[in-house]
Amino acid sequence: MLDIERISFNYGTAKVLEGITFRAGRGECIGIIGPNGSGKSTLLKTLSKVLRPSSGRVVLCDKELERYSSKELARHMAVVPQDTNIDFDFTCLEVVLMGRNPHMGRFELEGKRELDIAGECMILTSTWHLRERPFSEVSGGERQRVIIARALAQEPAVLLLDEPVSHLDINHQIEILDLVERLKGQRGLVVMIVLHDLNLAARYCDRLMLLYENKILATGSPAEVLTHEYIGQAFRANVVIRKHPLTGFLYVTLLNALEAQEPATGKAVHVVCGAGTGTRLLFTLRSRGYNVTAGVLNVLDSDYDAAVQLSIKTVSEAPFSPITPESYARALDMMMRADAIVISDVPFGWGNLKNLQAVIEASGSKPVMLVENQNEERDFTGGEAARMLERIKASGAIIVKDDEALIEALGRQR
Amino acid sequence: METKLFRWAAILTVLALALIVVTIVATAIGPANISVDKVTLIILSDIVSKIPFLSGQVHITKTWTDGEAGIIMLVRLPRVILALLVGATLAVAGTAAQAIFKNPMADPYILGVSSGAAFGAALVITFGLYTITLTIPLGLLDIKFGAIQLGALTGGLLATFLVFNIGRAGSKLPIETVILSGIAVSAFFSAITSFLMYIGGHSLSQVVYWVMGALWSADWNGIWLMLPTALIGCVIIMAFSRDLNMLLLGDEPASHLGTNVSIVKAGILALMSLITAAAVSVSGIIGFVGLIIPHMMRLIVGPDHRILIPSSILMGAMFLTAADTFSRMVIQPTEIPVGIITALIGAPFFVYLLSRKKKGVA
Repeated sequence: MLDIERISFNYGTAKVLEGITFRAGRGECIGIIGPNGSGKSTLLKTLSKVLRPSSGRVVLCDKELERYSSKELARHMAVVPQDTNIDFDFTCLEVVLMGRNPHMGRFELEGKRELDIAGECMILTSTWHLRERPFSEVSGGERQRVIIARALAQEPAVLLLDEPVSHLDINHQIEILDLVERLKGQRGLVVMIVLHDLNLAARYCDRLMLLYENKILATGSPAEVLTHEYIGQAFRANVVIRKHPLTGFLYVTLLNALEAQEPATGKAVHVVCGAGTGTRLLFTLRSRGYNVTAGVLNVLDSDYDAAVQLSIKTVSEAPFSPITPESYARALDMMMRADAIVISDVPFGWGNLKNLQAVIEASGSKPVMLVENQNEERDFTGGEAARMLERIKASGAIIVKDDEALIEALGRQR
Repeated sequence: METKLFRWAAILTVLALALIVVTIVATAIGPANISVDKVTLIILSDIVSKIPFLSGQVHITKTWTDGEAGIIMLVRLPRVILALLVGATLAVAGTAAQAIFKNPMADPYILGVSSGAAFGAALVITFGLYTITLTIPLGLLDIKFGAIQLGALTGGLLATFLVFNIGRAGSKLPIETVILSGIAVSAFFSAITSFLMYIGGHSLSQVVYWVMGALWSADWNGIWLMLPTALIGCVIIMAFSRDLNMLLLGDEPASHLGTNVSIVKAGILALMSLITAAAVSVSGIIGFVGLIIPHMMRLIVGPDHRILIPSSILMGAMFLTAADTFSRMVIQPTEIPVGIITALIGAPFFVYLLSRKKKGVA
């Protein structure tokens, strides 16, 4: 349907695209993603014949793009830009009827057929009620829907969209992309869409093309392209990519830019945590350059997930199981090697009480820090945990009220 | 759609009828008092006598003197027809310019035609090159170019040619650079014109009068030059009216909708400059018609060029004819150059448009 064969594009001596090869078929939605300046828009412009590639070729419906006249191309391909402003007072229906231009003769006036098609496209995009309104007076989301109706009125085989939702509110973003997805299915369109938002790309695209430094870095399903490594390399950012528990779609969370990560301090810190009390602590310590270890944690504990995401060395125990002697020994070993031990504001029950035992055994001369906000009950052992915590405090542990204070106190340690 | 077509047809019918009335009334008005019905009959009988198979059949009783017929046919009618043609040409050129530059403040002189033509005319007048004339024999009738006319036409086309070549980037015509090179070329030609006027001495007033724009030198020869120009210009620009609609959306969206943007832009701009140069060569520089007529009609009929262009043509023809009649009647026995009248009406209208625009912004 749409074959891109070794496309390169140069602006003067600057290379903007290099050797792009890709093939898209009927009913497919291809997302083009990549950082600013990676060539996304240029690629879309070469596909729509606004720019001529320096080398390589594009084949659309078994015919080279070069051999299409403007009018013929407009019957096969429609383009939805980021934003459309028209200073002149055309009504929305008149704007949609302009999509029929490539199908009409020079002196032909819009007949019944043209009106029927325009009306159908406006109903599909829920814009029929706007037909008499001036285009310049409808809202951004409505405007974009009218432009999509115009694109459909061209009856194209290929629909190119250049960041069609960047200027819209989140509800309109979903609305527009749902519409594109539905139309893709109904009309068997090839959709090529440039998206800035990786989460929207993961949700709506069948395949993704990740551009980086003017080349394709990765192509494939969202799961194949949206990986920690590829996204980290292309966007210079540290991200977490997970399946959303509610929607089942991949989602990308930005932790920090790679540049923002501080150099390693060489100091080792062991964290005793659980039940989500240590998640942020683990992340903050890690991004401050500490060599972090954690445990003992139960698998399925959210702190355990965080530790895995952050590639923190962790001693783990089966879900809902008490700490075995082996795990105890490994955790103790980690604590012995650490320069400092941190206990988050975690509640203690009979399952994780042995962590405190290990802290008492390992502490000796090394600094121990406790996060304690005293608002919540944290002893579920009938006094045993409280006693052990008192003992740790008595032997000189530093007590801080929150994570920030802890990081600060840790920074003061020599 | 049917209602839209009906509306369009109604608008054009009203404008066409108004145009006929204005034409006849304008021909009737003058120092010698000739009534409207006499004027109508004189014109009709002249048309009938020119068409061989009608002249034997139809008989119109002669109620007028030969003198009256002479005034109408040789003095007033050529002037009115020339006003119609020049007005129509300037209006259609202005509409095209505003579409291509996507700017309602653009006019037919935006590419420097006016200053180039003024330079050409000033050159002829200052150096008294009146002997340079050109006659194009066309069998039945010859088109004669007077020296000033020839100078103005050449100057206007020269300026346009320069602006195109300075402004273009390869095969593309970026609007910004075209406008800027238009300004630069205009400034250059205006400077030379001023210099010529400065050293010209006694010819100064003649150049000034020419620049103001007037139709008092109208004759049938000018009409034979303007008629094909206006017709060709109007028909071709109307043929591209849907493309002009597309261009209002911007160059890239227009090309995505099947308009060959670079060819349409270059072609229409060239045609616009050509017909404007022809109009200027017979009438001098008549301002504001090409600016306000499209604007006014856009307010009335909307932005769709398929109705905007024909209604602007009719309104432009009507407006210039009315303004010219006013200019020859207002302080008799002398007359004011029509360019002064159009500017006197046009400038306040422009201010009104600006204030509307300001309200839109605030």
